[in-house]
Amino acid sequence: MTSAISTPDGRKHDRRQPALLARFWGWEASGVLVALAVLVLALSLATDNFLSAYNVSVVVRQAAFVGLVALGQTLVLLVGGIDLSVGAGAGLASTVGAIVLTQWGLHPYLVIPFTMAFGFFLGSINGVFVAWLRLNPFIVTLATWEIFAGLTLVITKGYPIRPLGEEFGIFGKGEILGLPVPVLIFLASALVLIWVLTQTRFGRNIFAVGGNRDAALLAGIPVRRVEFIAFGLSGMLASMAGILFASRMDAAQPSVGEGWLMGAITAAILGGTSLRGGQGSIVGTVLGALLLTVLANGTVMMNVSGFWQRVIVGAVVLVAVLVDLLRRRAS
Amino acid sequence: MPTPVFEARAVSKAFGPVRALSDVTVTLNRGEVHSIIGENGAGKSTLMNIICGRLQPTSGQLFIDGTPVHFHNPKDAQRQGIAIAPQEISLVPDLTVYENIMLGAQRSGFLSIDWARTRDEATRHLHEVDKSIDPRAKVSGLSKAQQQLVQIARAAATEARILIFDEPTATLTYREEEVLLAYIENLAREGRSAFYISHRLDEVRRLSHRITVLRDGVHVGELSPDEASRDAMVRLMAGRPPKVGAQDIRPVSTAAPILEVQGLTRAGEFEDVSFTLRKGEILGVSGLIGAGRTEMAKCLFGVTRAQSGKIRLDGQEVAFSGPYQAINAGLIYLPEERKQEGIFPLLSIAENTALPTIDRFSGLLHLRNRDMMAEVARLADQMKAKFNALKDPITSLSGGNQQKFIIARWLMRDAKVLVMDEPTRGIDVNAKFEIQSVLRKLTEERGLSIIVISSEMEELLDVADRILVMHEGRVKGVVDRRDATQEGLLQLAMA
Repeated sequence: MTSAISTPDGRKHDRRQPALLARFWGWEASGVLVALAVLVLALSLATDNFLSAYNVSVVVRQAAFVGLVALGQTLVLLVGGIDLSVGAGAGLASTVGAIVLTQWGLHPYLVIPFTMAFGFFLGSINGVFVAWLRLNPFIVTLATWEIFAGLTLVITKGYPIRPLGEEFGIFGKGEILGLPVPVLIFLASALVLIWVLTQTRFGRNIFAVGGNRDAALLAGIPVRRVEFIAFGLSGMLASMAGILFASRMDAAQPSVGEGWLMGAITAAILGGTSLRGGQGSIVGTVLGALLLTVLANGTVMMNVSGFWQRVIVGAVVLVAVLVDLLRRRAS
Repeated sequence: MPTPVFEARAVSKAFGPVRALSDVTVTLNRGEVHSIIGENGAGKSTLMNIICGRLQPTSGQLFIDGTPVHFHNPKDAQRQGIAIAPQEISLVPDLTVYENIMLGAQRSGFLSIDWARTRDEATRHLHEVDKSIDPRAKVSGLSKAQQQLVQIARAAATEARILIFDEPTATLTYREEEVLLAYIENLAREGRSAFYISHRLDEVRRLSHRITVLRDGVHVGELSPDEASRDAMVRLMAGRPPKVGAQDIRPVSTAAPILEVQGLTRAGEFEDVSFTLRKGEILGVSGLIGAGRTEMAKCLFGVTRAQSGKIRLDGQEVAFSGPYQAINAGLIYLPEERKQEGIFPLLSIAENTALPTIDRFSGLLHLRNRDMMAEVARLADQMKAKFNALKDPITSLSGGNQQKFIIARWLMRDAKVLVMDEPTRGIDVNAKFEIQSVLRKLTEERGLSIIVISSEMEELLDVADRILVMHEGRVKGVVDRRDATQEGLLQLAMA
């Protein structure tokens, strides 16, 4: 294999350092970044108040909730699984969190960590079935989706738990340096996960397990533990979104996560995460979540009927997958 | 005598009622290369999988330095210094070469992986095996042979004292094989030990300090390299006197041409390829990996389109826009990767054989199953295939027998030209010989014309009537079998 290739104009490019543009194009999140930039530009030209401080804070806060769920979903997709139970898990965990807060009197500041731990537990149920019993993750999480959603209704009888109290409200409603707390938590989670996935052995193991499970096993990677933790983290991040949302609404809604499953998977896919595992990035997912929220917000700003929003999102996903296909063929 | 570094004592393994290994004992000394040979299904891979922790023995005991050990998984074995370079490619395609080499063993720095150190170390191990592979390249962009070499570097990078090489040379060509054998010899000189599995008996004899022969899961003999003549090894493996030997050399065919290729070109793959295949002839295609052999075959078959050049099949000029058209015209390609591209693992032997011709057996509303079975059985008999029942899954067969049914698949049609890519890779000697005999018989009895692409020169010399030599995408020459020698072909390829 030669590392230098001749170009028609006779100059030589080193293959290891392709032109900046080609490198950008080779990045799996390049498509979503371009799409997001174009969309933001178009919306800020077409409307007066898309870039207003208020609207931006609405958009990023929305993105934060679905984005947190999408971060966990990305981890599960990366190990070659899928987690359909995230929305229902978020509902169950935030319900339990609210009960612990209102009826058992747990200190409001401890409710978030408690709910996260409980969410990890819910996710790890999926993890046990998938990693140790080798059941299909689609089927396992389809079942736990039903179970979590059902248990939530059993506990709440379908009614929201409220009020949750002023002190607890700061996690959802508060701001630090002008940024909403949920957004800060989302960004912090994303940064930690970027570090974990690119710089730690556990993170690299996630890519290895999803890319080729047998190879990972033979390399002595604790494959089952990696899968188990990925599912646990997915449950944890989803429940975090659920309890933060409850804090914001001052109520734990049983149905809080109903729209999050599709949003989370869509965000990850838009960001270049492969459903076959081993490919994807956190940056891509964050951008994907933003793109999705901007799209929804944009349709409202443009006075497009809310009914069309789903049609547009579906079309964008198809285009994204097509672009990804072309990108892969080109490289 | 010093304590062996490793011992597997009286190891047995049963899968349900099937005994894959019975009471096998092998030892490995420091600095020793110990080869395990046997036909497919003899239990070599099962034994290696037990040694590397992938499988647990039903009974028996493993020892390291005389101390009993138990492996629950490959990680346990690795902790004890055992690493395997498996036969199948087992790498993570989307990661770089160096990350694959250091998988699960990345060097840690403060708060994160120390990438520079990890990369340097991987590069050092890689360069001991092969200097031409870029450690920063993605594994998915490498050829099969390169991936195999990366895998070997990975096994070595674990600093294991005991290495298992499971058919490492099956995908390698002559030159890469030389480098690898020298590398393994060097490992042994440094005091590391290796189990070595291969079907290529010449390299087994050259490399080994000891050779153990397995047959049907039983240890049937241990040979020193001096005793290990080809005949002796084959006799032990097969349990009967060898019938392996060259086929007779046939006179050069003067029959009408069936396939004429002129100036076929696809830039970057092959250029100006011209040759003629005559009716009833076997044309061997030799060359190193990357010579453009497979690419040329796929182009003939219509998988890719030629940029220029002509193909005439039975006197008619053809330009296939897909394999479907090629098959209908009677030109068949049997790919190199039997598992990936050749068989339907979930289907039965009969279905696998009859699938492309299933139309022939469709009744008014149903499949005429009995006719189908009868036809498959007839062909199986012709091919001397061994099987239990045609309803069994194809994966229950050995590699050699699978290959026979894949050939039979195309005999159910009126194939004119069969292009076979590495038809006997990973198939044991006896099955190899049988397949070669079948190919000869098909050319004689059915007038079939065959192109055999192979990296093994011995095979081409055994089966082909003429041998075409390719190098870097170009045809270097065509040699009649009468005049062909291994050295001559190699020189032609290198010239």
